[in-house]
Amino acid sequence: MMGLASYLIISSILFICGVVAIMARKNIVAILLGLELILNASALNFIAYSRFLNNNIDGHIFSLFIIVLAAAEAAVALAIVLRFYQIRESVHVDDATQLQG
Amino acid sequence: MDYTVASIAPIVLLPFLAFVIGSFTAKKFPKFTGIMVCVAIFGSFLLSARIFSDFVFNKFSADYYIHKTFLWFDLGPAFKLNLGIYIDQMSAMLLVMVSGVGFLIHLFATYYMGEDKRYASYMIYMSLFTAGMLGVALSDNLLGFFMFWEVMGFCSYSLIGFYFEREAPGDASLKAFMTTRIGDVFFLFGLLIVWNVTTQVNGQGSFAFVDLYNVIAAGGFDGQMLLGIPLATFAGLCFFMGTIGKSAQFPLQVWLPDAMQGPTPTSALIHAATMVAAGVYLSLRVYPLLEIGHLLTFVTYIGAITAFGAATMALVQTDIKAVLAYSTISQLGFMVLGVGVGNYNAAFMHLITHAVFKACLFLSSGSVIHSLHDHHTHGHVQEMPRMGGLAKKMPYTCFAMVVCSLAISGVPFFSGFVSKDRILGDALIHGLENPMVYGLPMFLGFLAALLTAFYMFRMIFLTFYGEPRDKELYDHCHTETFSFNRNLPLLILTVFTLGFWYSGSLTGQGLVKFPGVENKEWFQTLIEKPDDKHLAKFETYTSQTWGKVDIKPEVTFPKSHYDPTHGLSEADAHHAHTIHVSGAIGSIFIAFLGIFLAYLMYIRKSLNPGWWVSTFSGWYQTLKNKYYFDHFYIDILIKKVLFKFQDFVAWVDMGIWDRIFIDGWAKVNDTFSYWTRKFDDIVIDTIAVDGTGASVRFFNLVLRTFQSGKIQFYFVVIFVVLASYLLTLKVV
Repeated sequence: MMGLASYLIISSILFICGVVAIMARKNIVAILLGLELILNASALNFIAYSRFLNNNIDGHIFSLFIIVLAAAEAAVALAIVLRFYQIRESVHVDDATQLQG
Repeated sequence: MDYTVASIAPIVLLPFLAFVIGSFTAKKFPKFTGIMVCVAIFGSFLLSARIFSDFVFNKFSADYYIHKTFLWFDLGPAFKLNLGIYIDQMSAMLLVMVSGVGFLIHLFATYYMGEDKRYASYMIYMSLFTAGMLGVALSDNLLGFFMFWEVMGFCSYSLIGFYFEREAPGDASLKAFMTTRIGDVFFLFGLLIVWNVTTQVNGQGSFAFVDLYNVIAAGGFDGQMLLGIPLATFAGLCFFMGTIGKSAQFPLQVWLPDAMQGPTPTSALIHAATMVAAGVYLSLRVYPLLEIGHLLTFVTYIGAITAFGAATMALVQTDIKAVLAYSTISQLGFMVLGVGVGNYNAAFMHLITHAVFKACLFLSSGSVIHSLHDHHTHGHVQEMPRMGGLAKKMPYTCFAMVVCSLAISGVPFFSGFVSKDRILGDALIHGLENPMVYGLPMFLGFLAALLTAFYMFRMIFLTFYGEPRDKELYDHCHTETFSFNRNLPLLILTVFTLGFWYSGSLTGQGLVKFPGVENKEWFQTLIEKPDDKHLAKFETYTSQTWGKVDIKPEVTFPKSHYDPTHGLSEADAHHAHTIHVSGAIGSIFIAFLGIFLAYLMYIRKSLNPGWWVSTFSGWYQTLKNKYYFDHFYIDILIKKVLFKFQDFVAWVDMGIWDRIFIDGWAKVNDTFSYWTRKFDDIVIDTIAVDGTGASVRFFNLVLRTFQSGKIQFYFVVIFVVLASYLLTLKVV
C-alpha cells in the first residue's frame, strides 16, 4: 500500500533535485528547470497532504494554482533570459553581475 | 562715670579719621588738613583728660579699670581672638600724656612745617603716628598692642624719611625700620608663647594682659622649659627684645640717632611721646614676666649700659639734635634701669616726665634750627659750632630749653629730679645690698646722670651763650616774636617740667586733696607694680563685652594697694628711705657738678675742650664713631656675615633648588611629555583612531564578499539560513 511517506519522499527527491540544479548549474535555463522541479515538488506535497490528512480538494486547487503560476513564471523568466542573451550573448548565470554592490 | 565704647574709642579713632580724611584733602586743602589734624588730636586729648581725671582725681580706687572686649576672630572653640580696650591708671596717664604732648607737637608742626610743600601729608602721617601710640596705650592685649606698634613702625619709617629726596633720610628711615624689625620678630615669638601658655592653663588662648597676669599668678609658667631655659625667661626675653628694638636700647640703639634726619617735630614725637615710650611701656606691661623669668638683672645691665654709653656719645656731638637724640637713648636707659631695679612706677614716671621735657627740648631745638637759615646753602643750620649767643635773639626758646635742661639734668624742683632720683635711689639700694651684681649698673647710672647734666649744658652754652661764632648766620637770624604755634607749646611743656606736678607735694601738701589719702604721692598711689603680691587681684577682673555700658560701682579712694613701705619691714623701709635721701643728695651734687663743669669748659673757658680732645683722641674718635657700632653692624655683620649668608642662600637657591628641583622637575616633565606623546601617537592615534577606520575597512571587506552579485550564492545563503532556522525550530 502506498502511504503518505512515499509521496513525501518522492516530493523531497524532486525538491532536492531542484535545489541542486539551482545551486550547481550555471545555465540560466537549467536553473529555471530546477525551479520547475521545486514547484512541482511542492504541488505534489499539497496533493499528498490533501489526500491523506484532510480528504478534501483544497490541495488540488492549490496544485492547479501552482501549475498556472509555474507556467506564468516560466514565460516571464524565459522572456528575461531571452533579453539577457540578447544583451550579453550568454545564458551563463555568472555573467549577470549587475546587481553586485 | 559709666563708660561706653563710644566714649573711649574716639581717642584712637579721631586722629585716625583725621588721617583718612586728610589723605583725601591733603592735596587740595593743606591748611585745612593741618587744622583738622590738630583739632582731632585735641579732641582725643579732651577725651583722655576726662578719663584721666576720673581715674586720678575723682572717684575711682586703684582697683578700678575699664575692660571691654569684642570677638575679632572665631575659628573654633579653642581659637577665639578677642581685641579690646583696657584702661587702668597707667594707661589713663599714658593716654593723657601722649595726646597732650602730641597735640602740642602738632601745633608746633604747623609752625615748623608750614611752608613745606608737603605740609599736609606730613601732618596726616603725624596724626596716624599719634593714633598708633594711643592705640598702644588703649589696647587690652598684646596682639592689639603689636598691631598699633607696627602702625607706629610704619609711620616712623615714612616720617624719618620724609625728605626722601635726599639720601640720608631715606637710609635713616630704612635703618630705623629694619632695626626695630629685629625686636618685633622677637615680640612675635613672645606672642606665640603667651598664646600657648594661656591655652594650656585656661583652655582658651588669649593675648590679654589680664589673662597673662592671671596665668602667671596661677603658675602657668612654672616648670615649663624651652630649649633648656625656663619658658618665662624665654618669653620675657622676647618681649624685652621688643623693648630693646623700639626703645633703642643697647645693642640696637643705632637707629635712633639717625632718626633725627626727619623733620624736628617728628623727632619730638618719636623721641618723646610715642615710639620709644611704647617700648618701655611694653616692658612695664609684661613686668611680671620679666620678674618670674629672673630677667631683671639683665634688664638692669642693658639699661645702665645704654644710659651710660649714650651719654658718653652725646658728649662729642656737634649737631644740636644729635645731642638730644643721644640723651633720649640715655634717658630710655634710665627707664629700663628703673624697670630692672624693680622701681616700677619711677620708671613709668620717668617715661612721662621725660616725654614732656624731651618734647620741649626737641621743639626748642626745632625753633632754633628753623630760624637759622644759611643763605649759601639754602638750608637750616643744626651745627652747634656755628651757633652761640642766640639767647638774645630767641628769649622764649632759650627760656624753655634752659628749664627743660635743668629738668633732664635732675636739678631739684624739676620733674627730672623727681623721677630720675627715685630710679637712682633704688639703683643705689640694690648696689649697696649686692655690690657684686648691682654695683656696676649703679655706678654707671650715677655717671650717666653726671654726663647728662654736662652734655645738656654744653649744648645750652654752645647754642645760647658765649659769642656768636658764625657772625653772618647770627645777623640773619630774626629776633623771636611770640607766636602761638611756635612758643606756646614750648611754654606749656615748660610748665609741666616743674617737679611738683609729679611729686608728693601736689597731693601731700594739700594742693589737691584725695579724700582719705594723706601725704601720699599720687603717682605712687596710682601706678601699682603688678608683682606677684598683687597679681591675685587680676583673678577677679572680668571683661565686658563691647558696646555694654560699664556699670561698675563707684568706689571712693582710700581702698588702695599702695604700700608706703614697699612691702618692707619698718626698719628696712627706714633704711631704704635713708639711702634714698643720700642718693638724692648725691644726684643733686652730681647734677650741679655736671652743670658747673660745662660752665667751666664753655663759658669760663678755664678748661679747654680742645685739650681733652687731643689728649684722649682715641676715646674721642671712638665716641665720634658711636663706639663703632654702625661700623660693626654694616661692615662686619651685614657685609661680612649677612652678605656671605646671602651668597650661600643664593647658592642654595640657584645651585640646589634651581638645578635639582626646578630643572629636575623640568626633566621629569620632559620625560613625561615624551611618553605622553608616545601614548598619544600609538594608543590614541594609531590604535584608536586609525584602528577604528581599519576595523571598518576590514568588516567592509568581509561583508562585501557576500554582495557577490552571484544569484546562486544568494540562494545558497538563503537556503542554508532557512534550513538551519527550520532545524532550530525542530520542526523536522
